[in-house]
Amino acid sequence: MNDKDLTRTADGPPDEPRHVEAKALILLVVIGALIAAFFLYVMYARGVFEKTQELVLVADDSEGVIPGMDMSFAGFPIGRVRQVELGKDGKVNILVDIPKADAKWLRTTSVFTLERSIVGETRLRAYSGILTDPPLPDHAQRPVLRGDAAAEIPRLVATAHTLLENLETMTRPDSHIGNTLANVDALSGRLTGRYGVLGTALGGDAEAEKLLQTLRRLDTLLAKTDQRVFGKNGVMDDTQGAIRELNGLLSDARGTLQKADAVLAEAQAVGKNARVATEDLGRLRGEVDASLRKVNRLVDEVNRKWPFKRDTEIKLP
Amino acid sequence: MNMPITSLLYVKPRLWGRLAARYAASWWAMLHLGAVALVMALSPSTYHRANRLATSRYIYASTWQVLPWFTVLTALVSLVIIRIVLVTAQSYGLSRYALEMVVRVLVLELLPLSAAMFAALRAGMAFDANAMGLARSGVPAGAATAETLRRLRHDLVPQVIANAFSVLSLAMVSSTIVLVLAYLNVYGLSPWGLPDYTRTVGRVFDPTVTLGFVFKTVLFGLAVAVIPSAAILDLLRRPRRLRTNVQPGALRLLFVLLLIEASSLAVKYI
Repeated sequence: MNDKDLTRTADGPPDEPRHVEAKALILLVVIGALIAAFFLYVMYARGVFEKTQELVLVADDSEGVIPGMDMSFAGFPIGRVRQVELGKDGKVNILVDIPKADAKWLRTTSVFTLERSIVGETRLRAYSGILTDPPLPDHAQRPVLRGDAAAEIPRLVATAHTLLENLETMTRPDSHIGNTLANVDALSGRLTGRYGVLGTALGGDAEAEKLLQTLRRLDTLLAKTDQRVFGKNGVMDDTQGAIRELNGLLSDARGTLQKADAVLAEAQAVGKNARVATEDLGRLRGEVDASLRKVNRLVDEVNRKWPFKRDTEIKLP
Repeated sequence: MNMPITSLLYVKPRLWGRLAARYAASWWAMLHLGAVALVMALSPSTYHRANRLATSRYIYASTWQVLPWFTVLTALVSLVIIRIVLVTAQSYGLSRYALEMVVRVLVLELLPLSAAMFAALRAGMAFDANAMGLARSGVPAGAATAETLRRLRHDLVPQVIANAFSVLSLAMVSSTIVLVLAYLNVYGLSPWGLPDYTRTVGRVFDPTVTLGFVFKTVLFGLAVAVIPSAAILDLLRRPRRLRTNVQPGALRLLFVLLLIEASSLAVKYI
């Protein structure tokens, strides 16, 4: 029995299916093709057949960056991180492969950010503001800006704490804002009161009443003044009469002045004649002086020649 | 003395050393057999006419007959898992991670393991009621050696090849089907999700993961092929009274499969 069993095992089961070799061959070929196709698909999916250009992003911290992660532009993945290495300067170099077809979205002015969210993976994004700038060259090196939501939390909490404290201080019953609001309330109450803004500005209704009385008096005074000044037989009428008289006086004065002018012209002529006469008088005086000296000399002569009479009286001609 | 290791606690302490040595020897015999089978599978002289026929027969039995049912079954189970993952992810607003999770969990981990289990149950463990009978009735030493040699020459290599191929093909076909199902579930029939989907698949299958996937699948195939045979041969060489009706090597096979899976997970994610 044992031998029979062994023989059976060696030769295979007696009810062997037909075309077993062909079926096995088909399976081998199909599965082989499937495996080959799968590997080709995975290689295609990993971008092995794509022409790429390299971009080196320089960061301070590589936390969350893993090879294989995507770099997205406007939500579309346009590149893949190939390698993350520590540079000689201690900075992290993130090597990104960008397919040539997608490289057009990156320009020399593009900005790259690395964002760590609280939930989910780290994201590498590119922003190109001006798409007309020159395209990003191959092997370009760019800094990457970090936006770390988790790192911001402590600062955010501290700020929120301060903010809440301030808010609490502000909303306390004895706070400045509370007092101000109370004043504003009183102010608005006054504004809507009998004397409105006037009462508010003067500090009370009594003061406003006084001001109003003063204004009324002033009004009456102004009416009276108007009547006295501009009314019939008022100051203005008198003034107009006076002005008219003044006008007449002025015209009279003008005539008088003209006459005086003529008198002055005549006086000038008289003055001129008098000057001429004065000049003649000077000459006459000179002549008189000369005649007197002659007479004097003559008397002296006579006196010397006629010593009898010492009569010094001289008789002018 | 012919006691399984599970009865270690019931034997006297002075016999523990001998039991442990025997246990280690059986593991070593298994590894040795696996190495021999691998060498024979890689040497062209093995593939003569009779072996080709035997290999075809084993491939037919372990793959051709199993593939449709296994594919349908995994497709159904995977569909349920994909829906659960997608709906859960959507409800948490994490739908962009759902696809990656489906690919990682199903294609990389669950399907190869299920394929290995299925192949083990279908082909590896159900192969030899005769050997069980032989082992139970006890065979003379000469017959056992002859049986070992005959098995090595005629059955072992085709079995190893067929079982490894079975695991590989079951895993590959079901993985492909699941990839298609995942795409259809996420994007529907629209072709416009293809670039995004391709990118996700590319991100998951980085070189390390892909090599690990292939290596793991091949190891699964080898384990399924070698361990039950090694257990039967061990039984033939050292006949003993079996206390249970469990196929010899079944526990060891499960242990090795889980070990491979755990090691793969540890290498990938730790």
